[in-house]
Amino acid sequence: MTYGEAGTTMVSKEHVPMIPTPKGRAWSATVNGQPVEVLAPSNAVLLDVLRDKVGTLGVKRGCDLGTCGCCTVMIDGEPQLSCLTLAGQVEGREIITVEGLSDGAHLAPIQTCFATHGGSQCGFCTPGFLVTSQALLNTNPSPSRDEIATAIEGNLCRCTGYQQIIDAVEAAAAMVRGETAAPSPASDPHHDPHPAGPEEPTMPPGHAK
Amino acid sequence: MGSYKQQPGSDASEIRRDGKRVAGKQSFPPPGSGGSEPRMRPRDLDYIPETVGGREPKPAGDHIHDRARTGTSVGKAMPLVDSNAKVTGQAWYGDDVRLQGELIGKILRSPHHYARIKSIDTSRVEALPGVIAVATGQDAPNRFGVLPVTKDEHAMAVEKVRHVGDLVACVAAIDEATAIEALSLFDIEWEELEPVFDPKLGLEDHDEPIHWRGKYHLARTNVQKRVFQEFGDRSLVNSPHASSHGTWTMSGVHHGFTEPHAVVAHWDPNGRLQLYTPQQVPHYTHRALSTVLDVPMHQINVVRTFVGGGFGGKSDPFPHEMCAALLARKAGKPVRITFDREEVYWINRGRHPSHIDVKMTADTDGRISSFDIDALIDGGGFASFGHVTSYYNGVLATAPYELGSFHYTGARVWTNKPASGAMRGHGAVNTRCAVEVGLDEMAESMAVDPIDLRLANLLPPHSRTISGFRITSNGMREALERVREGSNWSEKFRQLPLGKGIGIGCGFFISGSGLPIHWDPKNFPHATVHIQVDMDGGVTVHTGAADIGQGSTTAVAQVVSEVLALPVDMIHVRSHESDTSPVDLGSYSSRVTFMNANAAIRAAIDVRDQLLKAAWEMLGYHPNVLVLNDRRIYYKHDPSIGVSYLQALHKAQEDTGALIARGAYRSPPMGGVHKGAAAGLAPAYSFSAYVAEVDVDVETGRVSCTNVWAAHDCGKALNPLAVKGQIIGSCHMGLGQVLSEKMVYGRTGHLQNANLLEYKIPSVHEMPHVEAIIVESSDPEGPFGAKEAGEGPLLPILPAVVNAVYDAIGVRLRDLPLTPDVVYNGIEKHMKTLGLDDPLDLPSPRLEHGPLQATLEARSEAHRERDRLRQRSEDTSAYVNGVLFGFDPNRPLAEQVEGWREADEPLPEQLAELGFAGRAWLKKEQRHMGGDA
Repeated sequence: MTYGEAGTTMVSKEHVPMIPTPKGRAWSATVNGQPVEVLAPSNAVLLDVLRDKVGTLGVKRGCDLGTCGCCTVMIDGEPQLSCLTLAGQVEGREIITVEGLSDGAHLAPIQTCFATHGGSQCGFCTPGFLVTSQALLNTNPSPSRDEIATAIEGNLCRCTGYQQIIDAVEAAAAMVRGETAAPSPASDPHHDPHPAGPEEPTMPPGHAK
Repeated sequence: MGSYKQQPGSDASEIRRDGKRVAGKQSFPPPGSGGSEPRMRPRDLDYIPETVGGREPKPAGDHIHDRARTGTSVGKAMPLVDSNAKVTGQAWYGDDVRLQGELIGKILRSPHHYARIKSIDTSRVEALPGVIAVATGQDAPNRFGVLPVTKDEHAMAVEKVRHVGDLVACVAAIDEATAIEALSLFDIEWEELEPVFDPKLGLEDHDEPIHWRGKYHLARTNVQKRVFQEFGDRSLVNSPHASSHGTWTMSGVHHGFTEPHAVVAHWDPNGRLQLYTPQQVPHYTHRALSTVLDVPMHQINVVRTFVGGGFGGKSDPFPHEMCAALLARKAGKPVRITFDREEVYWINRGRHPSHIDVKMTADTDGRISSFDIDALIDGGGFASFGHVTSYYNGVLATAPYELGSFHYTGARVWTNKPASGAMRGHGAVNTRCAVEVGLDEMAESMAVDPIDLRLANLLPPHSRTISGFRITSNGMREALERVREGSNWSEKFRQLPLGKGIGIGCGFFISGSGLPIHWDPKNFPHATVHIQVDMDGGVTVHTGAADIGQGSTTAVAQVVSEVLALPVDMIHVRSHESDTSPVDLGSYSSRVTFMNANAAIRAAIDVRDQLLKAAWEMLGYHPNVLVLNDRRIYYKHDPSIGVSYLQALHKAQEDTGALIARGAYRSPPMGGVHKGAAAGLAPAYSFSAYVAEVDVDVETGRVSCTNVWAAHDCGKALNPLAVKGQIIGSCHMGLGQVLSEKMVYGRTGHLQNANLLEYKIPSVHEMPHVEAIIVESSDPEGPFGAKEAGEGPLLPILPAVVNAVYDAIGVRLRDLPLTPDVVYNGIEKHMKTLGLDDPLDLPSPRLEHGPLQATLEARSEAHRERDRLRQRSEDTSAYVNGVLFGFDPNRPLAEQVEGWREADEPLPEQLAELGFAGRAWLKKEQRHMGGDA
């Protein structure tokens, strides 16, 4: 950004564009399993393309400088900061964002466990953490707490203090290994019981005394 | 307070006034009982854990949910109700709102610290193809501010800019590149003015004060607010048995939320403004928009998006929100403005950089005879919440200890830096740190254990502080005892080798500000909740409570689910739009769960009464003998006689349609009458105690915190998962402030680290293991006994770490953050004093208990019994600060001792000896000088 000089009036001169904006060209890749082709300038940053053109708004912009990890996406299985990646660099590659982790209400174990273990409070950093941890679990289904910490060291969380995030990843790893059962998705058919009859009603709150 | 209505919306369906338990009714005290009934009734004892004097056995293990005792969902650890939206990327934050045909807005920011704008020429901007709208300060001359008493902000600078990054103008263009391009085309003529950066200089007269408050301006200084508070008998100070004096410099810190500010504004075809913004307090934004845009409030719909972290940093009405609305009005199209990370630091509102001076004394019995606090806080360019911060820096140190006297001078000055404001632990954090470290030092000079010194000087439950705050439940003692036990304190304190240390710190914080910022409490409640139940049985709750990730939406869903005995997934909370939500004051001062859940309980009780009445008609049994439980309503003595919830619901809505109910909460009348008595008043207070363990590398000065035992009294953990998350998260944020975070202003006053790389927020590797300990004291005023857990847990971590560093190396450090250079400088200085060459030869501090230790232990033992009786309401006698010093609580203290003073202005003879910030009292207000305006 430039500003007017102090104490003087800037003299109008012929306008020269400060930021060159090359014409859009076709950019294609596989995003969350779907082939995508959009128009993007050759200097476009992957984060902008994903958010503004592809429409995967789950990829968050926190700093634009690679310091917060909110924009992490998986590129061919590797977690990578989309704000420091040019779209052109990943042309034709396999990109997975947080939207690609779940299938409707069928959440991935890592997503379920972030919810149940308090790994997500305000939720803004969560997509980055989820993608990073999922990438870890893909290669290492039984990570130690230290290994988890090392994997998420590039992600910043201001709410949780990380402890519950590590708990969540550990629990998800157990679920991935099949040691604990994944809950059935809430969107599965389930009837709504509104018992009218006398079959063993539970006692009212406070009844015990 | 003559015509004060105790509770809004209360009606004949009050069931508990007779003191009887009614079948199907939950055993929580009526919300808002505090005014007419400040104590728990004895019958509630069954619900108070044994550990704090009740009869309820503590559940085995980690908050095991006992359905028969705690009901449907309260007390259960459950995921936040919106967590699935967050983990799937579907939560919509500010920048995720994309409207058809949106334009991108950008803001031109000041390159000068302090300058007058002589002219702005926008012709070149307007000529740029792709620029649709341009706005400058002249387009919106109305002032706004979060506090009505200090409205000193404009949408954009009208006359002068007050810090680098202050808003000058804004543009809306077809895309971001064009908008950025346009910013370089403004032709502005500046007249630079002499800036002020050092808050100490802000106390002096200037040619051109940063703001001008007319006849209320203090001489020609930059003082925005000065405070003087004095309570108690100051003669006690003169002959202390032990004392401590510390002068602190605390850097400013930023909230560091991960979501940068973003806003989308759109004027719909009917001319109503739709404003989407991640706001903690949408209602104050709503008011400010109305003022600045000059349209009635009912023509504005403020939509709170998901908030990507707030911590106080999204609780002011912001100028960029006004800019977006102005641009959208001019352009006739939606405008989206998103900040980059640097702009987040320019708008700031972080914790005040502070100079704090704390003196304290103790008498021969180990009683704390005085706290003297002087706080000079650096407000930056605008007032923001500063009026309140100026008070909080002092008055929130008046508990949890019983004091002989209290003296506070505070001043907040404007400087040419980004404005400071409210941040988690608002105003209390820095002085709390200074006070707790002072106590540690004083304990050392008395040769006693600092935990015993604290335990022997605590205010009991149901008491009154020296400044007149009403303490209800108080879990301070349990918190201290549990961290002492958990950390194995007695085998570590002053016994660890050089470089390893352990320290204690306590905290005290408000649970909801007792007075709303804008409203006359006689006219409006603090919180209102609407509930609607239609034929499908689902319960829709409308509340304006701003969930910023802390889980207030979940808490509201839980308490409604509890009262109606329905599973939590049948409760749907709608809280985003001001068009559909009743007014709520927002997420600040840790008020949301406390006040909103209370209002929600009231509304839910109303719905339940409607259901029970319908069941009465169907079954023929009076509601008094009916039980509502697990989607059934049945006769208490024969559960086979009953109807289903849906049957009762359909009966209830036969003639009137969907069941509608509303509930409201207002805090009871409290507090003293002196100037500033309302600051720090709250319907309940939270207490906390932390022990921290640190490793200090004596050769490099690097401090790392390894373990924290964190006990917080939150009254009742509605959702233990969320409470633990708040405790651990608070530790993280507090550790950042004490060890690494710092807004660095260079010699030229420029902010040098406006990014997340150089602003050092602890990463996962700096995070210690935190043992979160929940203490439940069951507050009589709180919803199901709950108090706050969002801000209070941050306070004790700072002093705990600073005290632990002393335990490790024997050096008292009073410059925060304790970065390696600060620590090493301290070590070097200490070595010089001791004549040592090698830091590894430093002696570790050791403790030999003095004679006072036994006195303190005996007193704390006696006080434990006193507190137990008071907590159980077996002892309901009055208790005010001063009883420990032998005063009769039933007579005004001023009658009992000569020299007892309760003052909000210094005496003329005191002026010479006031502290640094106290020097603001040497200046006269303009109205007393016969000056202009």
